[in-house]
Amino acid sequence: MKLLLVEDDRETAAYVKRALTEAGHAVDHATDGRDGLLLAAGETYDVMVLDRMLPSIDGLAILRTIRASGVKTPVLLLTALGGIDDRVEGLEAGSDDYLVKPFAFAELLARVNALARRPPPQDVQTTLQVADLEMNLLRRTVTRAGKRIDLQPREFQLLEYLMRHAGKVVTRTMLLEAVWDFHFEPRTNIVESHVSRLRAKIDRNNAKELIHTQRGAGYSLREPD
Amino acid sequence: MWRSASLRLAALYTLAFTAAVAVLGLVTLLTTRAALSQQFDARILSESAALAQEFRVEGVLGVADAVQERDRTPGALDYGLEGPGGRPIAGRLAGRRAVAGWSTLRMAGAGGEREKVRLHAAALVGGYRLLVGGDDEDIDAVDDLLARRFALATVGVVLIGLAGGYGLARGMGRRIAALTDAAEAIIDGDLSRRVPATRSGDDLDRLAATFNRMLDRIATLMESLRQVSSDIAHELRTPLTRLRGRLEASLGRPAGAERTSAEESGALEGALADLDAILATFAALLRIAQIEGGARRSGFQAIDLAAISRTVVEAFAPSAEDAGQRLELERPASVVIEGDRELVTQMLVNLVENGLRHAGPRACVRVGCCVQRGRPVISVSDDGPGVPASERERLFDRFHRLEASRSTPGSGLGLAMVAAIAKLHGAEVSLHDAAPGLDVRVTFPAGAGTL
Repeated sequence: MKLLLVEDDRETAAYVKRALTEAGHAVDHATDGRDGLLLAAGETYDVMVLDRMLPSIDGLAILRTIRASGVKTPVLLLTALGGIDDRVEGLEAGSDDYLVKPFAFAELLARVNALARRPPPQDVQTTLQVADLEMNLLRRTVTRAGKRIDLQPREFQLLEYLMRHAGKVVTRTMLLEAVWDFHFEPRTNIVESHVSRLRAKIDRNNAKELIHTQRGAGYSLREPD
Repeated sequence: MWRSASLRLAALYTLAFTAAVAVLGLVTLLTTRAALSQQFDARILSESAALAQEFRVEGVLGVADAVQERDRTPGALDYGLEGPGGRPIAGRLAGRRAVAGWSTLRMAGAGGEREKVRLHAAALVGGYRLLVGGDDEDIDAVDDLLARRFALATVGVVLIGLAGGYGLARGMGRRIAALTDAAEAIIDGDLSRRVPATRSGDDLDRLAATFNRMLDRIATLMESLRQVSSDIAHELRTPLTRLRGRLEASLGRPAGAERTSAEESGALEGALADLDAILATFAALLRIAQIEGGARRSGFQAIDLAAISRTVVEAFAPSAEDAGQRLELERPASVVIEGDRELVTQMLVNLVENGLRHAGPRACVRVGCCVQRGRPVISVSDDGPGVPASERERLFDRFHRLEASRSTPGSGLGLAMVAAIAKLHGAEVSLHDAAPGLDVRVTFPAGAGTL
């Protein structure tokens, strides 16, 4: 994927750029708001990673400007630690996701991957399928190899999110935000307990496990290699 | 209205003025009366002396003539001449057995009406008596007039006093209300509000100016506090981001290749975990500071406490179960309040995690939400060892941790954040003995909720 990174701290930018490149992405880097805006408006990217606080033009201003000129590229906003209004302000300015700085690299990578090539909103899906696991979004039913699986509403939401991001790594924080709408980090690892219950229902008595734990990163739902 | 200090003061002054006017009236009345009586008596005595002189010069007949003549003169005093033994000789007053010296006599007047006559009887040589008197009704009439005028004046004073007091109270009330409004707005987090000043430059204006200067000072302090926390966040996040990046890079992530030995990577992972703990504490501190700054009041909306309780209990029940504990929801009646969904959720999460962490293995934590005496309440109670009464107050201090829990992980900020979020919502947090265990209740203000 082709990514734009707008980050003023050269060392952090170099590290993030190197890591994203190693993960197989092409990364353009701008160190201030002006360059960032020029690149964002001029080039086509799959995902933009925008630091909120930048010299010359800040991240929110860039975001508003490119959104106003019709650029629909998914944007991941990097926000300051502890800024409780930052998320709302970012969403209002047109960001698709946010990440509090400093972040774990795995978190950044997972979110960048999740943002890329999202199906357009008008393309309404009624069923999701991964291997022999099928989900009917209208009837709210799930079957594995044709056998019906009963899920709690929250388990259904959790599975739906995993299936929509099938093949990609989904972090604990992403699940907390998407499934529970928790925009803070609880001390208890509640995701693990929910995933293990879901796994028990989906993967029990099946030779092929679909829900995988990515050590140090999160979970992914995919057909085993 | 009676709670208004200025109105009470005005009423008090009106009362004092009324009393003063009444005293003034009384003194005037008495003085006038004394002066008039004295004047009247002097006139009687001088007439009496003149007639006594006549008696000495002209004898009885001369006086009798004089008495009769004067009696006939309209507007003159009344007279009488008695012979020895009280035998009447001449005049209206003769033969009425008046005592010697001053006396008052009631008799029928010329037109048949009753009149009150003050008279003086003087003894003459040879057993004769000379009586001179007059109707002192005029004095009473003057008294009456004075009393009526003063009563009227008193009513006027009372009316003017009440009207003035009411006006004063309204004027003062409006200005004090402006002061109160500004203070309330500031308590609610609007630090830009100031008290409007009139141009009169009176003591209330000076108070308003002082008040505004105090607000400027508070605003400056708040702003510098906010600035400091934002500066800390900004200044530290770059080095912390670098640090985190370096540690991750050294660990071999994200390349995936094992560049370090197992021992080294263990140390690096430990350092990374410690750094994340520092960041979590740091983030919590900044968050508490922002909440206490009242920044989020604008994000208030109608939220259902029961729905939030259900979400939190559903989210934490599996992990509680995995730890051998139970988490239950009681009485999930819908209770809607004005609040910040994210913060109220976090408050409940902190309370639930706190309960699960301190209640011990096999404990049961119950979350309830209801309306008590018109006030929405969220309660989180456990059946654990509880908290000694002496420790309860300090539980909400930043970094305060019970002796017993020093060895378990935790930043000691969870309940401080609960306190900050409750305060932002005007709610009270109280700790009760659940016997056994601890019962934490967050009571929202009355009227904030509807069932």
